[in-house]
Amino acid sequence: MERDAFIARLAAARPGPPLPDVSSLPAVHTELRPGDELYARFVHELTAVNGTCELRPAAAVSAAVVAALGDARRVALGADLGDHQAPVEGALAAAGIAAIAYEEAVADRAVLGALEATVTGCALAVAATGSIVISAAAGRAAALIAPLHVCVVPAEHLVGGLAEALRILPPGSLTAFQSGPSRTADIEKVLILGMHGPGATHVIVAT
Amino acid sequence: MSGDHLTGTTFEGRAAEQLAKPFQRKAIPAAVDGTVAHSRALFATGDRERLRELGRDIRAHAVANLPEYVAAFTDAAEANGTRVHFAGDATEANAIVAGICRDAGAQLIVKSKSMLTEEIELNPALEAAGFEVVETDLGEYVVQIANDRPSHIIGPIIHKTRGEVRELFSAIAGRDLGDDPRALTAFAREQLRDVFLRADVGITGGNFAVAESGSVVLVTNEGNARLATSLPRVHIALVGVERLLPRTADLSVLIPLLVASGTGQQLTTYLSIASGPRREGEPDGPDEMHVVLVDGGRSAILGTGYQDILNCIRCGACQNVCPVYRQVGGHAYGWVYGGPIGAVLTPLFKPSAEGLEVAHASSLCAACDDVCPVKIPLHDLLVDLRRDRVGRRIPGRFERLAYGAWSRAWSSPLLYRLSGRVGIASLRLLARGGVVRRGLGPLRRWTRDRDLLLPGRRRR
Ligand code: SF4
Repeated sequence: MERDAFIARLAAARPGPPLPDVSSLPAVHTELRPGDELYARFVHELTAVNGTCELRPAAAVSAAVVAALGDARRVALGADLGDHQAPVEGALAAAGIAAIAYEEAVADRAVLGALEATVTGCALAVAATGSIVISAAAGRAAALIAPLHVCVVPAEHLVGGLAEALRILPPGSLTAFQSGPSRTADIEKVLILGMHGPGATHVIVAT
Repeated sequence: MSGDHLTGTTFEGRAAEQLAKPFQRKAIPAAVDGTVAHSRALFATGDRERLRELGRDIRAHAVANLPEYVAAFTDAAEANGTRVHFAGDATEANAIVAGICRDAGAQLIVKSKSMLTEEIELNPALEAAGFEVVETDLGEYVVQIANDRPSHIIGPIIHKTRGEVRELFSAIAGRDLGDDPRALTAFAREQLRDVFLRADVGITGGNFAVAESGSVVLVTNEGNARLATSLPRVHIALVGVERLLPRTADLSVLIPLLVASGTGQQLTTYLSIASGPRREGEPDGPDEMHVVLVDGGRSAILGTGYQDILNCIRCGACQNVCPVYRQVGGHAYGWVYGGPIGAVLTPLFKPSAEGLEVAHASSLCAACDDVCPVKIPLHDLLVDLRRDRVGRRIPGRFERLAYGAWSRAWSSPLLYRLSGRVGIASLRLLARGGVVRRGLGPLRRWTRDRDLLLPGRRRR
């Protein structure tokens, strides 16, 4: 149908209420509660959805990434690690892990499909929901193509709740909130991690 | 895999068929009670009533002003490089999608879960056009292989046992996979991962479309919608035209309402906001993004007494608490939607005699009103639908006379009291020892499966 004809059919509606102001919200579980401390709430929520998390000073981040990768050797690295990019690349090389750039991995479906882990940064992290927020600038599938995802979160990227995150969404053709590993309970309600995305999500918050 | 089992059947017949499946009657409460409890606990930590009022007002406002928001959405989406298509009905929607796939030279299509595509029966249409379509939500994948239909908005295979899934998957694997859900899930992941890596087109639904940003919002737990928007060269999102939200900020109200009501989670694992094809400098993503806005009977509801049903965000909460749904399951409702939302939508979208009858698949207990996150007065809409059906002379003559007399009697205090006395007196005639075991006339069906106790005497 033409746009105008399609829209014309929608004009018969009964009037509705005015659009409410949502600049301040009533108490809701996706926002901070009074007394919440940012990092503590983030860890609580992320752990509740089977993610793992550690707090590290900036200088210790690359060692933490190497440790989190465990035995994974086919590793792709996002280009969104900011200040941590060079140190992490160096530490991986020193540990004998020949990580490739995610951009390269995605160009070859066989390489992409065989990845054991990915390491990315993130644009934002949301304390009240335990989410990391990844922009398409870092790669749409970068955080979910491999069985293990390791994410480096600069502490200053941590925001309180969903409302604030939505106000400052990063630019990019897709913004993805991700809260813990991929899950399904479709078969008789048995919870299983790692359905399409990673089975393990590890977050390193860098102070 | 037609979505319509209405024609030539009755609710009673379909329900009897479902009730004969002993697993399902236990499985539904087992599957949904956890969600209901988690949902209640989450909402208890906040101001649930105020949040629902905000949700209702945002939705009701958007639905009442669709011309403005569809225009704004389209302009913003096109500015992002997305192509927006307008489908008046199911046939047109399917033709648009097939056309996009053909133009893209596609063969293999991956789909993430979408109730709208069940409504319009997209899969058979695409298959008839020569495409291979693979559902990638685990539950929908099972539904597709079994040539079945989803029976719940959120949990499509709550009617299936692990044994049935084992059989289906083992047949594909060519060996017995056992009935551990872990092994079965791992098998599906492997199968589907390969499909994702090869697919040309990814089709998703859209939980919301945001007018100010031209974005489509998707919530999933498995991550399949996100893969479908990442790996294939073309992303097509089909969105019911009523699913518009004016502002990105509205998500801060509607996402917690949808997710807590639908799955009882703080937030789903994945919440994706898709705003166009891959941009310069981004490492992956589709070359094309298309949004198909689908009317499919929605505009006809605007301006009627049923407009509020368009505020629905398809969370499935009303199904979970409905005493009828919990017994008979989704398939008994005969079309795509079961439970209270189905009992309202089916008569409106499928106004045949069989479709209209579905409005009676409810006990009018109003449990659905209490859980609906956007406060849709489901109970009132169901009563109105029944009244309309009576007005359209679809029931028998006796039913019409009886309802007419009932309405007159209960409109006058004197006649109301009198009718109560007459009713009780006639019940006493039928009763033995305070219990009516076999009723007459319209009571016969009630007493077929249960006894009717006499009302107690009023004590003064
Ligand atoms: S009617 Fe309300 S409770 Fe039912 S699916 Fe729609 S939004 Fe959810």
